Amino acid sequence: MMTDHTSQQAPPLVRVRGLTAHLGGRAVFDGLDLDIPRGKVTAIMGPSGTGKTTLLKHITGQLKADSGSLQVDGQEVSGLTRKGLYDLRERIGYLFQNSALLTDYSVFENVAFPLRQHTRLPEEIMRDIVLTKLQAVGLRGAAQLMPSELSGGMARRVALARAIVFDPMLILYDEPFVGLDPIALAQVLKLIRTLNATLGITSVLVAHELAAIQQVADHVYLIANGKVVAQGDPHAIADDGSEWTRQFFGGEVDGPVPFHYPAGDYAEALGLAGEPS
Amino acid sequence: MNPRRSFAAGTGLFILLGFAALVFLATQTTSVANNYQGDTYTVTADFMNVGQLKVGAPVKMAGVRIGSVTAITLDQKSLLAQVTMAIGKRFNAIPADSSAAVFTSGLLGDQYIAVKPGSGINPDDPTGPPLVLHDGSQFIQVQSALQLEDLIGKFLVDGSPAKK
Amino acid sequence: MSAASGRRNWLLDGLAQVGDAGLFLPTLLAAIPRSLRHFRETVRQLWFVGAMSLTLIMVCGLFVGMVLALQLYYVLSIFGGTAATGTVVALAVYRELGPVVTALLFAGRAGTAITAEIGLMRATDQLSAMELMAVDPVAYVATPRFLAGVISMPLLCCVFCAMAIFGGHLVGVTWLGIDNGTFWSNMTASVNVWTDIVDGVLYKSLAFGAVVTLIAVHQGYTTPPTSEGVAYATTRTVVASSIAILALDFMLTAFLT
Repeated sequence: MMTDHTSQQAPPLVRVRGLTAHLGGRAVFDGLDLDIPRGKVTAIMGPSGTGKTTLLKHITGQLKADSGSLQVDGQEVSGLTRKGLYDLRERIGYLFQNSALLTDYSVFENVAFPLRQHTRLPEEIMRDIVLTKLQAVGLRGAAQLMPSELSGGMARRVALARAIVFDPMLILYDEPFVGLDPIALAQVLKLIRTLNATLGITSVLVAHELAAIQQVADHVYLIANGKVVAQGDPHAIADDGSEWTRQFFGGEVDGPVPFHYPAGDYAEALGLAGEPS
Repeated sequence: MNPRRSFAAGTGLFILLGFAALVFLATQTTSVANNYQGDTYTVTADFMNVGQLKVGAPVKMAGVRIGSVTAITLDQKSLLAQVTMAIGKRFNAIPADSSAAVFTSGLLGDQYIAVKPGSGINPDDPTGPPLVLHDGSQFIQVQSALQLEDLIGKFLVDGSPAKK
Repeated sequence: MSAASGRRNWLLDGLAQVGDAGLFLPTLLAAIPRSLRHFRETVRQLWFVGAMSLTLIMVCGLFVGMVLALQLYYVLSIFGGTAATGTVVALAVYRELGPVVTALLFAGRAGTAITAEIGLMRATDQLSAMELMAVDPVAYVATPRFLAGVISMPLLCCVFCAMAIFGGHLVGVTWLGIDNGTFWSNMTASVNVWTDIVDGVLYKSLAFGAVVTLIAVHQGYTTPPTSEGVAYATTRTVVASSIAILALDFMLTAFLT
């Protein structure tokens, strides 16, 4: 069991150093450091609004940091040209929380979409690739359905098939477990494990569900206040003793993340300040 | 049943329909319709005054359009307005002594040239075939445009007994 | 940022929208070469934007022509000038009513559809998904719709005008008894192909098509990704397009004549 991934020999696929970024005037990252090791499943957790999804957007170059460095496969993402960025994105699969299937196209055309856009493969080969990917997620029979006819879990699996159509080096999962029933959850978990194990695809998961993460992830980062506040093995991290992990995994109301949004003096706001009782 | 192909076919139909409408508008409802009525021959007429007659105005005979005005110029010597008309080739039996007049369609309508037929009798050979207009002919008898201002002026002068 | 201050500054807000849309135009135009790779998408949008508006345009054109002929016949009969009915129908439709009414209908039918569709794609992350599949959403979504709108409008306007002439003929000749030859010969004597058809029908409708689709695409593309935002953007497309069409019509008329 891996407990300290910094002892990894191979250079990490994603290396983040001193990442600082602001969004809407608020600091999202304040000198964030983390590594995503190759061929592993890494989970990123944290309270809502800590910029977990924002981190994925930085990895794909949708957002630019104010300072710091973010390298994917040795390339500095913020230094890429539009062409270089698009080339990089072709090697990254991204699974949206709401699947983001193109509503105009059938399941088959959705999975075929990246192929049609970036290759000039003969229709026969294209069809074989798409059906292989759909078979991998168990939805070959649903190829001719429209996205509106799919359940949430099925839509997510179609989106996963689309994300892996180019056999990417990295898949980013944005909240893949939200809104799934236990069966669909188990199916998605199985797919993440299978893809990682059989294809060796590096996976990054952004999620809240520790129980689900413990089943798939090799390593967990807990992000809060723009920094990594805890990291480690998913089975051990809840007990590492820091107050962050105690509040987050224990589900406590108050702690480093306060119950009260910062506000002025309560008595003063009610007009009671200084009045004789 | 490729859905993509049916889109393309429908779109093609739409574009064709649009262009057909454009061709209809441009050729059937504008002066272009008058420019292309087959082969024509040219005749001229000199008027004292053409009024508001414009190039492209119709030339009519008994109310039927037989051609159009192609040019209006001022003859520097005679100081008359020389109007050139293109008459359809199929109207090839217009008597040579017909007269041309500048008329107004309705009270305020556009002006046009009305051709009143003559007898066509050849004075040298009264029993022979009638003389007809041909390319380069000129109308001998003409009647200028009726000017509203002249009419009013005439009325004021001629109607003077009412003043006395 | 608050809604209240946004409402107070509606004038500034409107100006900012105009500027923003103006800045969006170069982005759209710059993506034309890349969007030609997705030429099929432009053809598909021509179907949705243009061909699907055809029925509406044809029916409305017919009725506009019919009511114009009816009104003009009674006014012109006072002067004994009913022969000019066809002429006036044609001139009114070619110079003003055709382009303007077609553009207003187009904004309501196709403009709103474009805004709602792109807005919904934004709200459901479809645009981000394209971005992450290394497909430029401007070149794949925005520019094909813009091109389709610019191509469709003149075609739709021609169909509208043809239907209006047909409607005018139906009422004037078939119903009210104007002589068929008079109807056409008066029209052909007074309508000029350059100043009326090209300047009126074609230039104006091309300009209106560009403005309406620019507004529609821009509103959809920049809408807040919520259902409320999409509804609001759709309304704004109609309002902004209508104002833009009529203001631009005045300017073009002043400029072209």
